[in-house]
Amino acid sequence: MSAAESATSIQKNQVDLLDFIDWSGLECLNQSSSHSLSNALKQGYREDEGLNLESDADEQLLIYIPFTQVIKLHSIVVTGSEEEGPKTVKLFANREHMGFSNVSDFPPSDTAVLSPDNLKGKPVVLKYVKFQNVRSLTIFIEDNQSSSEITKVQKIALYGSTVETTDMKGLKKIEDH
Amino acid sequence: MICIDNSEWMRNGDYAPSRFQAQADAVNLICGAKTQSNPENTVGVLTMAGKGVRVLVTPTSDLGKILACMHGLEIGGEMNLAAGIQVAQLALKHRQNKKQQQRIIVFAGSPVTHDKKVLEMIGKKLKKNSVALDIVNFGEDDEGKKEKLEALLTAVNNNDTSHIVHVPAGPNALSDVLISTPIFTGDGEGGSGFAASAAAVAAVSMEEERARQEAAAKKAAEEASEQDVTMTERSSEGPSGADNKKNEIPDDDNTLLQQALAMSVDEPASTQDLQDTEISDAAAEDPELALALQLSVQDSTKDSSTEADMSKLLADQSFVSSILASLPGVDPNDPSVKEVLASMQNQSESQQKQDEDQAPEKKEGK
Repeated sequence: MSAAESATSIQKNQVDLLDFIDWSGLECLNQSSSHSLSNALKQGYREDEGLNLESDADEQLLIYIPFTQVIKLHSIVVTGSEEEGPKTVKLFANREHMGFSNVSDFPPSDTAVLSPDNLKGKPVVLKYVKFQNVRSLTIFIEDNQSSSEITKVQKIALYGSTVETTDMKGLKKIEDH
Repeated sequence: MICIDNSEWMRNGDYAPSRFQAQADAVNLICGAKTQSNPENTVGVLTMAGKGVRVLVTPTSDLGKILACMHGLEIGGEMNLAAGIQVAQLALKHRQNKKQQQRIIVFAGSPVTHDKKVLEMIGKKLKKNSVALDIVNFGEDDEGKKEKLEALLTAVNNNDTSHIVHVPAGPNALSDVLISTPIFTGDGEGGSGFAASAAAVAAVSMEEERARQEAAAKKAAEEASEQDVTMTERSSEGPSGADNKKNEIPDDDNTLLQQALAMSVDEPASTQDLQDTEISDAAAEDPELALALQLSVQDSTKDSSTEADMSKLLADQSFVSSILASLPGVDPNDPSVKEVLASMQNQSESQQKQDEDQAPEKKEGK
């Protein structure tokens, strides 16, 4: 499915969804405290090769990203080193508060096996139809390229488009006269 | 989630009145503290021995329910630590409020039969799922138990969110020893609940004494006469520093100042009472500190030498207010500070009357 697409698979209308991430609700299980999720997501940090998201007790990572509005997810970019970068990545749309124990309870919305090209920055195009109405995304990194103890992710970028929804936080109360 | 050891080993009386009773008291105290410190906290209890691991109550904020389930617990069987922790983890997973931090408190009173490897794997799994673990090591102390539990702690510990406490048998009750540990105070919560508990205040002033000793030891090289002033100053700063850690009310300077004052004022008063004990204790650690303590005690005594107990506090007040004046950012004429100082004197009626007017005003203001 995620077969060789040209590098221009970031099509028009697909924007970097960085602005729509709800930073207050970000969660990441099994991350190392000195190498946290923001190193992979935040603007600037994710471009820095010295700053990675690293796993802690073992090689798996469970990342939960809520959005401030409903989005459609088109593709993702996951970069990392050739050995310790992630390999199998499972994506779950709209599942809250997953744990490592229930990742196998239901099938993922999509699975990506990252190749070295992907790790260098080539986007993985996803099954768009599965990601039409995404409020939150859970990324389960199951293993890494060389099956080492620690998985290191340098950057995670999400591309897609928005669906017109009201941002509840932006609603202001009408003043009574 | 609290894991209780109700195995046969709990019949032993080396902790008064029995290991089991001491454990139950400690559990009751912890439940109270947790539910008081944050209304959104929930606590659950399970037993690890008996016929098998059994959850007595799932995480709830209803303290009555928790305490009720502690009644009628039977002792027997052998503790299964691994199963206990795993069931606790499962119970936490199914908590209603997923935003809550997960924590397991284990009372390990009997020998640990599992391998170190097994415990380490359990610890890793807990860390992976972001569950913190507090271990209370008491009761039986067979070979390897301490190392196994320490290994478990290292496996699970993430940024010092997990703790272990070894409580040896002795005159001190299990609960008293636990009060001063991070298990009780828990990552910065639990401050407001303590203000009410006298036992907690005693433990806190013990800690303040330690903080003061540290600070005083630093200044021990300097002139003795200056040392009094600096020491008391330091002690007010010290407690407020320590309180800061413990209380989640750093915004309210007045509260901190109140508690710091309480410590400083209480200390001169109590030091006079327990003069001998404290000085001999301190002397054991630091002869210079003993000298400093003596000097400060003498100072306070000198001030209040001719007056009754009630006026002792008044004298302390003038002493304290002069200290206050030297503390940065404190205006002794601030009505709230005055109120605090006055509230220290229970017996001073005239002050009380004056401040009773101010106090309700202030309370409303808050």
